[in-house]
Amino acid sequence: MNDFSLLLPEFLVAGLAFFILALDLFIKENWKRYLVWVAFFGLAVILFVSLFIESEGQLYDGLLEFDEFTKFFRIFFLIIGGVTVIISREYVDSRLKYPGEYYGILLFTLLGAMLLASSAELLTAYINLELLSFGLYVLVGYERYNPKSNEASVKYILLGAFSSALILFGISQIYGLLGTTRFDEMSVAFSSLSSISPGMAVGFVLIVSGLGFKLAAVPFHMWAPDVYEGAPLPITAWLSVGSKAAALALAIRLFSEGFISVFGELQPILIVIAAITMVIGNLLALVQKNIKRLLAYSSIGHVGYLLMGLAALVPIAKTGSVAETFTNLVYNGLLFHMVSYGFTTMAAFLCVITVYNKTGRDDISAFAGLSKRQPLVALVFVCALFSLAGLPIFVGFASKFYLFNAVGGQGLLWLVALAIVMSLISLYYYLTIARQLYIENSEDDAPIAVSFVTKLTLGGLFGVMIILGIYPAFLLEAIQRATDALISGNLLSLV
Amino acid sequence: MWGGLLSEGYVLNWIAVLVVAAVGLVAILLMFVASRLLAPRRPSEAKDSPYECGIPAAPYHWSQIQIRYYVFAIIFIIFDVEAVFLFPWALIFVESVPIVFYEMLVFIAVLFFGVIYGWRKGVLQWR
Repeated sequence: MNDFSLLLPEFLVAGLAFFILALDLFIKENWKRYLVWVAFFGLAVILFVSLFIESEGQLYDGLLEFDEFTKFFRIFFLIIGGVTVIISREYVDSRLKYPGEYYGILLFTLLGAMLLASSAELLTAYINLELLSFGLYVLVGYERYNPKSNEASVKYILLGAFSSALILFGISQIYGLLGTTRFDEMSVAFSSLSSISPGMAVGFVLIVSGLGFKLAAVPFHMWAPDVYEGAPLPITAWLSVGSKAAALALAIRLFSEGFISVFGELQPILIVIAAITMVIGNLLALVQKNIKRLLAYSSIGHVGYLLMGLAALVPIAKTGSVAETFTNLVYNGLLFHMVSYGFTTMAAFLCVITVYNKTGRDDISAFAGLSKRQPLVALVFVCALFSLAGLPIFVGFASKFYLFNAVGGQGLLWLVALAIVMSLISLYYYLTIARQLYIENSEDDAPIAVSFVTKLTLGGLFGVMIILGIYPAFLLEAIQRATDALISGNLLSLV
Repeated sequence: MWGGLLSEGYVLNWIAVLVVAAVGLVAILLMFVASRLLAPRRPSEAKDSPYECGIPAAPYHWSQIQIRYYVFAIIFIIFDVEAVFLFPWALIFVESVPIVFYEMLVFIAVLFFGVIYGWRKGVLQWR
């Protein structure tokens, strides 16, 4: 019997989205700028609810699975969604029309991301991925009179539709050969196969490419810089954190529940993609002049690190009992780095948005002398950049250390070495921004005013970066529970 | 036959598709040839027009169409989608558990929201 209370947070998010759209229809124009608070406090209540409800079980005959992994991602998405809403506030007020639709559609994409983390069947996952993508297509093109925004939207729709087609074709191949699209039944069917047929290999490659598009992994990354540059800034932040984390959630569940018994066949593909993603993302970031494009390439580089973790979900050399603990560590490191990347990127984007709102410029030289014009934003920005680069006391160091260590334990030492070298290279372009912030002088010395809400958000994100960097134990406990939910049944079938 | 590259069952499934495709192609080809051989040929201006339906086409090939029709088409889709799901539901909901009935109400409410949205945005007025 279906227990619909499992879906309570998702129902509430959908209800909140409809409520905001409906409010927008009936309230006066000058009241609409308060819609952001409806969205924000609504999400806060939903977060509170989802922290305390029971979330173990299945719905719709196992199409949706609820466990600690789902709960972890649900809470992560709710927090990141709330941050996205709050950093949108001033941007939407000053630059975008129709706030009701903006927040409503943003909440629908959040709903898609949350459901994606609980999908335990390929077509359900596909539909949730589309729910996420359709909303993003609209939001990317939300600045209707900005040609760049339109260009970004068209590129994103065309390539997004193409990648969805790839995923669908991959699903049809897998269904045609296995007769099931459910993750648990797939893993049983795979383990009874003696070898992988070419048709199956085509299916794997198509699904991995489709997910690669959504993650902006390197041969499928060409859309990312253009779309990131053209989209409204808060949406760029949501694209680079929310939508990537959602695709990653699907990938982790799919690989560790569906494909685990044939993971050896997929591993070489993932290793190669991870390696070139790290290299290309970080090298191309070196030559960028626009801060959005730089952050886009830096996020491609971070996807490379995350893919490295994904490639190491199963050890290279099956050496018995040691491997199990290390596999555990890889899952932990993957989720930890995702959380750290998420909060740090949000902090960096909030700084960019604050400056952009006042100056209207998004090239790197616009940040010259920011330490004199607005010391707080400059401080948080430079800390976010150090955290992205992986310098100690910030969360980026702790998570990179954890992830690299775990991947090394799985036998992929050369890949870890490459990742460390690329982290060093990334420090260079992060430091070019830091140089603009603290050393260069700007022609305009007028201080930039920052609202109280922005200060509070900056302080909050700054605190998260420091606290998780120094004492991540409580986060790691939650991550460990999520990992246990995924690993418990699967590793046994592997050995 | 395929040297173990593809499993036999897989190939056999696709051979059926291949046969259907081939039959379809041949049938179309036969129709074209038959009309070529059998049909009388009396060309006229109306017949040579790009969209031939017996009466002369409207003034220009590039005539404008009101953008307002497009908005109506979108509103129409709401009812269209509703109908597609309502008919199968109507056949089974009496015998099923009560939740099936309420699920449909939620679905209709969501679609009805679309109508209200269109109404408040002024789509239903012909301006």
